[in-house]
Amino acid sequence: MKQITARIAWSLGLILAVIVMCFTLIHLAPGDVAIVIAGDSGAGDPEVIAEIREDLGLDQPFVVQLGGYVGDVAQGDLGTSYRFNEPVTDLITTRLWPTFLLVGTAVSFAIVLGVLVGVFTARRPENPISHGVTVFSLTGYSMPVFWTGLMLVIMFASNVRWFPVSGMRDVRLDGNWLEEWIDIAHHLVLPSITLGVIYLAQYSRLSRASMLEVLQSDYVRTARAKGLAERRVVYKHALRNAVIPVVTVAGLQFGQMLSGALLVETVFNWPGLGRLASDSVFQRDAPVLLGILICSASLVVIINILTDLVYRLIDPRIRVGGAS
Amino acid sequence: MDPLLSVRGLTVTFGSFTAVEDVSFDIHAGQTLAVVGESGSGKSVTALSIMRLVELGTRGKIEAGEILFRNSDGEVIDLVRQREDQMREIRGNQISMIFQEPLTSLNPVYSVGDQVAEAVILHQGLDKEAANERVLDMFRLVRIPEPEERMAQFPHEMSGGMRQRVMIAMALSCDPKVLIADEPTTALDVTIQAQILGLMRDLREQTGAAVLIITHDMGVVAEVADDVVVMNRAKVVERGPVTQIFESATEPYTQALLASVPRLGSMTGLDKPAPFELVEYQP
Ligand SMILES: Nc1ncnc2c1ncn2[C@@H]1O[C@H](COP(=O)(O)OP(=O)(O)OP(=O)(O)O)[C@@H](O)[C@H]1O
Ligand SMILES: [Mg+2]
Repeated sequence: MKQITARIAWSLGLILAVIVMCFTLIHLAPGDVAIVIAGDSGAGDPEVIAEIREDLGLDQPFVVQLGGYVGDVAQGDLGTSYRFNEPVTDLITTRLWPTFLLVGTAVSFAIVLGVLVGVFTARRPENPISHGVTVFSLTGYSMPVFWTGLMLVIMFASNVRWFPVSGMRDVRLDGNWLEEWIDIAHHLVLPSITLGVIYLAQYSRLSRASMLEVLQSDYVRTARAKGLAERRVVYKHALRNAVIPVVTVAGLQFGQMLSGALLVETVFNWPGLGRLASDSVFQRDAPVLLGILICSASLVVIINILTDLVYRLIDPRIRVGGAS
Repeated sequence: MDPLLSVRGLTVTFGSFTAVEDVSFDIHAGQTLAVVGESGSGKSVTALSIMRLVELGTRGKIEAGEILFRNSDGEVIDLVRQREDQMREIRGNQISMIFQEPLTSLNPVYSVGDQVAEAVILHQGLDKEAANERVLDMFRLVRIPEPEERMAQFPHEMSGGMRQRVMIAMALSCDPKVLIADEPTTALDVTIQAQILGLMRDLREQTGAAVLIITHDMGVVAEVADDVVVMNRAKVVERGPVTQIFESATEPYTQALLASVPRLGSMTGLDKPAPFELVEYQP
């Protein structure tokens, strides 16, 4: 418990560092927001620009701006979007859950299927399916996200029309919550496969290797010597040990997966954080961009802590020893 | 009396390598047979073959021979010809094994109590609660202190000696007719060694099980064995009752092994301990 508290304190420090760094970078970026905003509303008049500056506090010294921002963030206020004139927190919360849905589905798909494939190929290395899987995981690992995405769209959305090309919902649909969820799930298939397939390839190779090792271990031999059926030996005694490295890697890769989601969201027009981020870059919407950066940094930190907890659940050696 | 277990002409290979060649011996109920021999002579492979574990998880193959076992119904069956599901009825139940590596033979992610209970639930059809009672009894039997607390512990929380006791408790939990102990004490220090050997002797006397003990250590042989089989380079080179082996070993290899056992008083009159002679043997 003490360790967890230390982890949280350390994480808060980390997030603060992220805020300061991102704020400084955006401040240093070329281009004047006030001009963009003024230009957009049709008036390039220097007085208007000065007024906008004052309004946004852009005339203050940098340190004051930074201090004010950190103070606001500490109170859960991420400012107001220049573009939409809405609180950034609202913008982010509405976009957060689609991204979560996408990443969550992709991770679960990659881990569950990856481990199953890994177990299968570890147990039957000579099976033709195992050879096929090895080739697939090598290619899957080296396929760029947008290429996989486009190929899937061409195959399953244009040629056979099994799945929708883009978006998250069918706007024409007017049904109850169940029909709505089915519609979302239907839209979710291609993007989550696109995002998950790289990790699927990685996790199946990783779990195959660790399963092969675990199956040779002395305690698996003990389990067999008890007279347990092979199925129980594999799924009870070996599997739990074999997934430990997969959980570790998946937790560490969460940040990478979040940035992968950004690309996938662009390809599939998925209304998540990634889309919001790329839009706000083009529109110089600094508060939104900063908000997203802070939000994703916090997510990565939270997921890392959660991974640690899961890891402790699976492996009792970590629970007591406290070393890691 | 007919033997409980009779290994006849056993030959086991790993690819083109022959790890066990034409090995035969008998074990009788209530008796202890010691298999001795240097490292790599095929002792563990012989034991794993009796459990039919060489073909499961390793690339080993039983090429020839039979392993006749008088099962609990009094029938004599050839273990080499049993199907895998028939073997599962026997493993951990009628024949059980304590492995050479006590530190790594328990699963790190389950409590030791659960691991022992699993065998009891499987073979004796007890429910979880009754199985835990049984585990508790076994832990007391192998003299694990504070057995209730120990049951909930994980292997990494226990010392090597305690883990080995857990392995012994597991092996004995279903009252096996044959107990195979592969160097049960090599990884332990001498005082614990003596306790564990004493434990195994008591248990054999109480339950009338047959024990096959594998060891390098002629001291251990003198302590527990009724009969001895000496293996070298995959083959049996000498066999006989323990007294005969100790008094009149005919094979040079056995004589060399015996010479390596220090005798009390053998160094009286010397200024300092003399170095042991190394065992050198060419067939
Ligand atoms: N799984 C395996 N794959 C290939 N070869 C093996 C395997 N297990 C054992 N062997 C080989 O079989 C031979 C006999 O091994 P075994 O383990 O029976 O020796 P041992 O007499 O038990 O030795 P030790 O006293 O060191 O335990 C060795 O040469 C070993 O390399
Ligand atoms: Mg051995």
